[in-house]
Amino acid sequence: MLTPLQAREWDLPKAAHLLNRAGFGGTPDEIKAFCELGLNRAVQLVLDGPDDSTQFPKPAWAQPRNMLEMRQEMMLMAPDDRKAVQQDIQKQYRQDDLDLINWWLGRMRYSDNPYREKMTLFWHGHFATSVQKVHDTFLMWQQNETLRQHAFGNFGLMLKAISRDPAMLIWLDTRESRKDHPNENFAREVMELFTLGIGNYTEEDVQQGARAFTGYRIDPRDESFRYAPFQHDDGEKQFLGQSGPFSGDNVLDIILQQPACAKYIVKKLWEFYAYEDPNPALVNALAWNFRMTNYEIRPLMSAILRSGEFYSQDAVRTQIKSPVQWVVQTGKVLETGMARPMVTLNALRELGQVPFAPPNVKGWDGGRSWITTSTLLYRYNMANFAVGNGPLHIDTPRPGLANVNNPGHGQPLDVLNYEGPNFEKIIPPQVRSDPKRLIAYLCFRLFQDPLTPRDTQPFIQYASDHGPNPGDDALRELLHLMMSTPQYQLT
Amino acid sequence: MSDSDHIIEPHTSTLHTRREFLRTSMLGAAVSLSLPVFLQKTFFTLDAMAADSAVQTATGKDGPILIVLQLAGGNDGMNTVIPYADDAYYQARPVIGIAKDSVIKLNDYAGLNPKLAGLKGLYDEGNLSVLQGVGYPNPNRSHFRSTEIWQTASDADITVPYGWLGRYFDSCCQGADPTVGVAIGNQVPQSFASATPTGVSFSRPEQYRWLNGDKSGASEQIYREMNEPEMDMRTLDENDGGSIGSLAGPSAAPGGHRESTLEFLQRTALDAQVSSDKVLAIARKFPASVSYPRTALADSLNLVGRMIAGGLATRVYYVSQGGYDTHTNQVATHTRLMGELNDALVAFAQDMKKQGNFGRVMLMTFSEFGRRVTQNASNGTDHGAAAPMFIMGGGVKAGLFGQYPSLTALNAGDLAYNVDFRSVYATILDRWLRAPSREVLGRQFPLLNLV
Repeated sequence: MLTPLQAREWDLPKAAHLLNRAGFGGTPDEIKAFCELGLNRAVQLVLDGPDDSTQFPKPAWAQPRNMLEMRQEMMLMAPDDRKAVQQDIQKQYRQDDLDLINWWLGRMRYSDNPYREKMTLFWHGHFATSVQKVHDTFLMWQQNETLRQHAFGNFGLMLKAISRDPAMLIWLDTRESRKDHPNENFAREVMELFTLGIGNYTEEDVQQGARAFTGYRIDPRDESFRYAPFQHDDGEKQFLGQSGPFSGDNVLDIILQQPACAKYIVKKLWEFYAYEDPNPALVNALAWNFRMTNYEIRPLMSAILRSGEFYSQDAVRTQIKSPVQWVVQTGKVLETGMARPMVTLNALRELGQVPFAPPNVKGWDGGRSWITTSTLLYRYNMANFAVGNGPLHIDTPRPGLANVNNPGHGQPLDVLNYEGPNFEKIIPPQVRSDPKRLIAYLCFRLFQDPLTPRDTQPFIQYASDHGPNPGDDALRELLHLMMSTPQYQLT
Repeated sequence: MSDSDHIIEPHTSTLHTRREFLRTSMLGAAVSLSLPVFLQKTFFTLDAMAADSAVQTATGKDGPILIVLQLAGGNDGMNTVIPYADDAYYQARPVIGIAKDSVIKLNDYAGLNPKLAGLKGLYDEGNLSVLQGVGYPNPNRSHFRSTEIWQTASDADITVPYGWLGRYFDSCCQGADPTVGVAIGNQVPQSFASATPTGVSFSRPEQYRWLNGDKSGASEQIYREMNEPEMDMRTLDENDGGSIGSLAGPSAAPGGHRESTLEFLQRTALDAQVSSDKVLAIARKFPASVSYPRTALADSLNLVGRMIAGGLATRVYYVSQGGYDTHTNQVATHTRLMGELNDALVAFAQDMKKQGNFGRVMLMTFSEFGRRVTQNASNGTDHGAAAPMFIMGGGVKAGLFGQYPSLTALNAGDLAYNVDFRSVYATILDRWLRAPSREVLGRQFPLLNLV
């Protein structure tokens, strides 16, 4: 079982660790303020952060459309007009998709409650759904809101909401599933990836489960979930050792009774927030409580974030930043504005994590899979751009998301209206004259860790060679150097 | 023999191995002993071609090359190699079946998708073999698990940590030169996973380098120091891997040294730095010799062609084409994919012939599974089992291998395999790459008469 962290053990490095993992990090001042809350109030803030919905109002495109009416209108058009209208719709979609990504990245970056956004990012990777198949910005946004609403709530309720979520109905073909031809896609993935994990069900369970999810439809008049009883198979099913005329919700309830479900979710959460390959005894203990408390997420997260294990050497600075974490946290620590959406989209694509476009239903593998020779060099070059050293050579294949996981060709994009950090603001004058003090300050800002003398020595050398009081150009390159390191990839 | 017996455990950290390689190769010796670090870039650039002498002693300058092409998502084998003479095919696929008269016949039973005319040309000239009914016992229908089985060449009921190509690298190349395995794109496939990690990835050579804002070179020097940890001779000893490992990360996994996350990052940074110099130099000197179509797959093969022309010391290239998971309205999607596959392979074959390297290359396609015999309610197909593979190259024995699986005597609703994919791997390892397949695959699989 977990050992709770004692309040007196709480200090600046631990506060920085919690802010990095439960949110997207912060500036030195933000870390200090977070530390001053103390352990209990800091964790409380993570679990019950302020509501940011007035800060982020519903975007204009976040409205359902009457597909039936649109289709009927199109039918009446001359073929050429219809084609033109279809092209306009596609173009608008691509623009809206880009807005959607930027909207969420902005929320992660600027929200008063970044903790809920981080949790939502976890659930998005868990119930991984891609706009590349769904092709509907509103539905993707709506799913994101559903995940946000349940982020710290009840896993069972979230699972049931997701089973009816129109984007999911498209993504895993549930809307195609009929009584006489059940589609197995959702039934398989709900067990393999959303709840139990492979090995905890049989092919027979997949086929029987698929029958229970027949009759789920999307109403073309307002894109809402609709249940079509005549397409539902209400016959007797044998599922995970039980039998009855199960509905989809019954099947999910049976899944939630399985001990494997709580273990699967707990392990995934632990790996996302703390570290990989946790001790099975730790997972089992948390999973038992999770199942016994009816899958309430908030108490589970409270136990994780208050545990000594979460703040141990196995956890602190052992995680590779995800591309989204890298981009959002870099904006926060350098206190820059956001780059143009196309620049960020391209970077995230190159780095392997475009929100709303996971590579497949398994989501992102994370961990070491983020890093290859090409993505590591790209991170270093993204740092060059972030500090304001000049444009990133990027490819803009086709606008929008059409080929986010399959990049094509393009030309360099003009990125001149990005300014980089304000050095007056992020590096106080009093630390600039002493290279050691300057590097110590920057290490806290960038790494929240002093690093080893061996690691910092080249930076101190560079600062000395350009000092005393290095100018903006030298500081810019110094920041770039410090970010062009294995250490900057860790959090 | 248990499955773990053949896994080669590293004796020292890979970071150490890699530094050792740099030090002992002509290139690396010059770098670490005599040249100021800021001159390295120039040196690397000038020397990239001559680097053959150092690097290719390990791999053989004229050695065979394998290109693995993954058709990701589960290619519908029955609409790729079509059993056009079987009524059961048209009964099972009334909407998505390919009309008999448009099939490109290979024999009186099976033929190719109409989009694969270029492959038929290669088949006729003796440079393509078509393997029918390839799969494995107890097939798994999960994309992820079945991909893992193909990538690691494991039995379906166990998982193994390393990939089949990674074990080949361990067995033959000792993890010395990271460019022995190259994946085009931003991901390294699971098949490259090895005890002494090897393999680099890139997609655009001109961007595969470190940019900076300091024209004096001082910044570049520090960057190289930071990302080539402990390159100087005084600190090169057996223990430095351990001292790095102690800085961070969970303790080593039971049963051997596991790189810490920081060590993993440091090693990747070193691999990136060394390979980027070579790749960029080759890319600048060797444009494509033929014109390729403008698709992602053709781009990838074009890049492979340029690297082969430039003599990058690579034994295995890995490329992929996605989009094969055709659950709904599959005909349009699958037809497009077949066309892109055909056109890219034809261009690559022409490129290799023009370079005079066609006899040195073998390209193998695979997909994690085929699809169900019967179309589904959405005019698509669900996950299935056995499927065909293509092997292309100047050195292959052309022809149609294996039996087309029966469309009526099914295994749990799917085609039953008659060639184990590991027999294909074994043949490629033993007869093409000249590596001991028994050691790499853990047991001896029957060889096929492909090479």
